[in-house]
Amino acid sequence: MFEWSEEQLMVQEAMRRFIEAEVVPNIDDLEHNGVPPFDIIRKMYATFGMDQMARDRFKKQLERKISGQEESAEERAERAGDGGAAAMTLIPIIELCRYCPGIVTSMGVSVGLAAGTIMKQGTPAQMERWGLDLLTAEKVGSWAITEPNSGSDALGGMTTTARRDGDGYILNGNKTWITNGPYADTIVLYAKLDDGSDTPIRNRQVLTFILEKGMEGLEQSKPFRKMGLNSSPTGELFLTDVRVGPEHLLGETEDERSGSGRDSAKGNFVTERAGLAAMSLGLIEQCLQLSIQYAKDRVLWGTPIGDFQLIQLKLAKMEVARLNVQNLVFRHIEMSAAGKSLSLAEASAMKLYSAQAASEVAMEAVQLMGGNGYTADYRVEQLARDAKVYQIYAGTDEIQITHIAKDLLRR
Amino acid sequence: MNVAVCVKQIPDPAAPPALDPGTKNLVRDGKLILDDSDAYGVEMALQLAEAAGGGEVTLVSMAPNGETSGLRTALAMGAAKAILVSDPALAGCDALGTAKVLAAALKRAEPDLILAATESSDGYTGTTPVQVAELMGLPSVTFAKKVSTEGGTVKVERQTEAGYDEVVSPLPAVVTVTAGVVEPRYPSFKGIMAAKSKPVETLTVADLGLDAASVGSAGARQEITNVAEAEARAAGEIVVDEGEGHLKVIEFLEQLKVI
Ligand SMILES: Cc1cc2nc3c(=O)[nH]c(=O)nc-3n(C[C@H](O)[C@H](O)[C@H](O)COP(=O)(O)OP(=O)(O)OC[C@H]3O[C@@H](n4cnc5c(N)ncnc54)[C@H](O)[C@@H]3O)c2cc1C
Ligand SMILES: Cc1cc2nc3c(=O)[nH]c(=O)nc-3n(C[C@H](O)[C@H](O)[C@H](O)COP(=O)(O)OP(=O)(O)OC[C@H]3O[C@@H](n4cnc5c(N)ncnc54)[C@H](O)[C@@H]3O)c2cc1C
Repeated sequence: MFEWSEEQLMVQEAMRRFIEAEVVPNIDDLEHNGVPPFDIIRKMYATFGMDQMARDRFKKQLERKISGQEESAEERAERAGDGGAAAMTLIPIIELCRYCPGIVTSMGVSVGLAAGTIMKQGTPAQMERWGLDLLTAEKVGSWAITEPNSGSDALGGMTTTARRDGDGYILNGNKTWITNGPYADTIVLYAKLDDGSDTPIRNRQVLTFILEKGMEGLEQSKPFRKMGLNSSPTGELFLTDVRVGPEHLLGETEDERSGSGRDSAKGNFVTERAGLAAMSLGLIEQCLQLSIQYAKDRVLWGTPIGDFQLIQLKLAKMEVARLNVQNLVFRHIEMSAAGKSLSLAEASAMKLYSAQAASEVAMEAVQLMGGNGYTADYRVEQLARDAKVYQIYAGTDEIQITHIAKDLLRR
Repeated sequence: MNVAVCVKQIPDPAAPPALDPGTKNLVRDGKLILDDSDAYGVEMALQLAEAAGGGEVTLVSMAPNGETSGLRTALAMGAAKAILVSDPALAGCDALGTAKVLAAALKRAEPDLILAATESSDGYTGTTPVQVAELMGLPSVTFAKKVSTEGGTVKVERQTEAGYDEVVSPLPAVVTVTAGVVEPRYPSFKGIMAAKSKPVETLTVADLGLDAASVGSAGARQEITNVAEAEARAAGEIVVDEGEGHLKVIEFLEQLKVI
């Protein structure tokens, strides 16, 4: 594909209308007054029937899980259509990121990471108890892996532990940088199995748990004050002797054949990283559009600044970035439609380029607008602060580079 | 209850409009979108059909180049099918010619009720729907701000300068709705995906059994003789408020005799 289909443009147009009506008027509350994004996400789900679609999809996934069948190639093609499924998820992401990448972050973590993990590795009972309400955006989910002393080294450096206790576990530790952490109803949390053996903690088995708000010993912090992405609440989780039954262990087994905690975490890296290209595309499109308009409107020395070659260079570079990122997004859509998935290295390359492009474009948009660009009114100031996080979360730029290089050198 | 809605597909108002220098007609070559005015009719039709416990909403449109983009939007909202009349012979059609075409197409839909907007956003003569009613021999009720049906009748609250009239008319009838009467729904993603496969019957003037000489520029009794640039808006007066700005505003409004 090289352009959006007529159908996809209709989705785009409907999303734009919704964003104009529901997001833009509330942007100050979301970005500056600590209003969480969940009501808007729910409204979007209800408005476009995304909740009903999620319920339908859930039913099929549940049936498959119970019967133990893999999705057939036919079913997958039907689900994907002509790039349909991937595009239908990515277009709202792109459009929302023109204004509010934070909403997308909160939504992506809740529906994509938290629910996605439960749906993939959970038992039917776990899917029903915790998966469905997250998929429909009724409840808020978190996906907790990062800790104060383990960021980029998330799995190795992890020190949150799960000690066997009867048929259940007792959890202790501290998670940080957890998107939706302050509000989450359901938390997918990774912890190291403490089986009393002398295996160094780095090498211990990683288990995945599903926790609920209000559990004894679980504390959810207030949102952090961050540089940007303020429409997405981020916080800490403290676990002090949190006792959980076996039904809270994802998959209800320590047996790694049904998927280990490490695999579960890594599987999500690909989804997250690919989604980030779509997030970058929306942000870049918006910065470019605002910059073009500004370059035409702002007159200096009797001429629009768009006549100056140094301004033209900025616009041209933004357009190159937009085209490249759009191509990456289109490629991802095409691949999903063909039932193919990205390798971790490909997803990392996609993320590295897109995140850097988004940051650069947004900063250049601020520069192009001079003092106005530095004020909230002209919007690119917020987008520039938001874009910076693209290079940090879902794996820093440096970590993407190591993943790409490792893959290249293995060949 | 089956409801037919007249929907006009118009050039995107957000794009700069262009006039053909020869005919002075609006250039309608590009993509056409659903006229916002007609989104209200579509929403009202969907609500009425739902309230009546079933029935279909059929769209009827006349547009050049077999254009269906605007129709797809209304189909995505939930209309069941569409009839599109498109024919080079319709170029230069005036409002009466349009009404003849729409009336002939509407007959095929056999609707219990016909809805249209009070006026379109681009032509806004506001004459087409009443002409349709006349040609079909149906009662017409204009400026509806509220519409309900019961048995074989339609009940309308008709906007007037002083308030509203309550009008009851037998069905079938033609009713024009004003903007803002209902909140047009967003198309759901499922609706958008389904719209692609909903039937759109495309007809020509001959298919409708109309005489080509009675429509299009051949049949037009209206001709655009001149198009003049609107007078540029003069700069406004800026009042600096030094505590009595409100008096200046009152004075200004009194001058205009609006208070
Ligand atoms: C807004 C936001 C939301 C987040 N949401 C979540 C969430 O929902 N769930 C979750 O689990 N986590 C979340 N995170 C955490 C995020 O994934 C981590 O911040 C990220 O992985 C980086 O870890 P760190 O911050 O500890 O940095 P560190 O790992 O301490 O990195 C510090 C610096 O060292 C560099 N570095 C690290 N290793 C290497 C290396 N091998 N070679 C070269 N340089 C290296 C890094 O690139 C970085 O520049 C979120 C973070 C943010 C900012
Ligand atoms: C000079 C001229 C040239 C024209 N050339 C063409 C042409 O080349 N091809 C062509 O297709 N049309 C052509 N038209 C027709 C024109 O687009 C209008 O449909 C017609 O004149 C009605 O005028 P209006 O917009 O003032 O409608 P109004 O009377 O203001 O419309 C009221 C309502 O009637 C309904 N309605 C009106 N027009 C249509 C329609 N076309 N389809 C469905 N519902 C409708 C809508 O619900 C609308 O909101 C031309 C008109 C003029 C005046």
